[in-house]
Amino acid sequence: MSAVVTTQLAERRSSLLVTVLAFAAPVIFVLVPLAIFLVYSFFSVDQGTIVYAPTLGNYVRFFTDPIFLPVFWNTIVLCVSVAVICILLAYPAAYFLTTLRGRWRYALLMLLLVPLLMSYVIKIYAIRSILGLNGFLNKALVAIGILQQPSTLFVFNMNAILLTLSLLLIPFAILPIFLSLERIPQTLLRASDDLGASGLQTFLRITLPLSLPGVASAASFVFVLAIGDFLTPQMVGGTSGFTFGRILYSQFGTAYNWPFGAALSVALAIVVICAILIGERFGRSRGTSV
Amino acid sequence: MNQNPDLLTLRSVSKSYGTVAVLHDIDLSIRDGEFLTVLGPSGSGKTTVLRLIGGLEPLTTGDIRLDGQDISRMPINKRPFNTVFQDYALFPHMTVSGNVGYGLSVRHVQRKEIARRVAEALELVQLGRFADRFPAQLSGGQRQRVALARALICRPRLILLDEPLAALDLELRRQMQEFLKSIQREIKTTFLFVTHDQEEAIGMADRICVMQAGHIRQLGTPHELYYKPNCEFVARFFGENNLVAGKLGPVQGEQRPIETALGRLICSITDQPHLKAAPEGASAFAAFRPEALHLADATDGDNRFSGIIADLAFAGSSTVATIKAGADNAAQRLRLRTPSRIGGSALRSGETVALSFAPHEGHLVLA
Repeated sequence: MSAVVTTQLAERRSSLLVTVLAFAAPVIFVLVPLAIFLVYSFFSVDQGTIVYAPTLGNYVRFFTDPIFLPVFWNTIVLCVSVAVICILLAYPAAYFLTTLRGRWRYALLMLLLVPLLMSYVIKIYAIRSILGLNGFLNKALVAIGILQQPSTLFVFNMNAILLTLSLLLIPFAILPIFLSLERIPQTLLRASDDLGASGLQTFLRITLPLSLPGVASAASFVFVLAIGDFLTPQMVGGTSGFTFGRILYSQFGTAYNWPFGAALSVALAIVVICAILIGERFGRSRGTSV
Repeated sequence: MNQNPDLLTLRSVSKSYGTVAVLHDIDLSIRDGEFLTVLGPSGSGKTTVLRLIGGLEPLTTGDIRLDGQDISRMPINKRPFNTVFQDYALFPHMTVSGNVGYGLSVRHVQRKEIARRVAEALELVQLGRFADRFPAQLSGGQRQRVALARALICRPRLILLDEPLAALDLELRRQMQEFLKSIQREIKTTFLFVTHDQEEAIGMADRICVMQAGHIRQLGTPHELYYKPNCEFVARFFGENNLVAGKLGPVQGEQRPIETALGRLICSITDQPHLKAAPEGASAFAAFRPEALHLADATDGDNRFSGIIADLAFAGSSTVATIKAGADNAAQRLRLRTPSRIGGSALRSGETVALSFAPHEGHLVLA
């Protein structure tokens, strides 16, 4: 009798242990660092050393200093633009993929995703050489007569960041859109045809609305990845392409003001969380899971 | 019914996928206003027939004519037919009324008119209260009725139903059968109903087209198919049947004997000229239904043989006996169905009995 009770107790204890471990990992590796950042954002720096006394100074500085809010806003606009460009380019590609049959479909999908396997830095260097004053893009535009001479329109500025981020992040947009398109049952499209809809009507009224969850998650993916990126602006942005990520990076680097950097990251994190929530809200469409 | 003109005619229609032929030279006429059921086991090509008519797939050869006009090349969205799909294929992001009104709104019918006809259609399928629900919030039977309302709102010439009841449980299926039939009577539209369930086919159809292996085996009323099957496949597939192999004897007016392991059996050949024409000695089957077989009494002269009752099964309203007959009471298995009685069956398992069926209740099927 008592033996049975002890084994039951032991079982319960081991299952409890598993539960604790399962929750412990995300808590220790994700939530605790975030909490530390939050706490740091209320400290200050004096003569290169951190003063551990609570203050709202960092946040006051963020909202009052004429530098930070405009950069913050411009960065958000930039990343929304990147998301829009990625969606506009990725949707037709993903749609084309779903029209292919069997093996071709996945072979081509893999091909589109291959850039993800390459080093980020190498890709940025490659794009930089395409965008440069003597790069492929300028030479091509001059050669076909659109430009008289190489333009600086996309050399080391905001435009360069926009183009580079869009190119880098397109695979992240293709995948969720492709998956949501692929999940639409073919019989729904046949039913629409059967009820007299034209190809365009079927696309606009059935395919497009049913693929919006994928579009929403693609957009939030791209936006979050773009806004957190400081390396790309650093490498292709030059002096005029100044983004929030670069300011953040400098606070932890050259400026050596960790508490202020932490306050800026909190602001960034709030935007990211909002983007994810919005993506999640639209990613769940009514009744799609029949 | 017989005077109704043909609505749709399939002429030597065949369909192949690559080198695999799934339909071989089908000829089929669908009459205006009838409830035609295409019945066959899986792989018989019955769904392909429906998909070809609906325009979901192109045909390989032959043509399909609507009122005499060739529509084989007409695109799916121009055909005046609507389909009720097997899995209903309701649009998950639209409400019930959105789904039902879809066919009208893609034709740019005015909103007021759409609202009126949607309400009318939902009334017809008794779903008026559910207009604002989403398909995910409905039960299987309700989704089924939405799919039906969506198909009939455009007033198609023909409604194609692809095993629409397959996913429902038995009780609901029975209700839906009656419901479909009553709707069909009410709107007087031609229904083409595909199923593998012969009970469903008997209960609903004006005419049944039995298919097997890409061929039409027989087309006729349920009564004709049941009592005058024209081949072994139909005789076996359609309802329970006793088939006894033998050789045909000489024609005797409206009857013809067949020499079998149970002796000489005399069967009716009324209205079946091909049986009259068949040569003597040809291989054939004597076919008689379990309910036609009965214990022989003194007055029974023809079609008399003995057998041993191997098994008795009580099946509610009737009791089914499995009988071994023929040489050594082992050569032939037969079934006998009698109405059940409260006092128990007169039959005893293991008993040897004399059996008989009336010549007019037996028929012949060429092998």
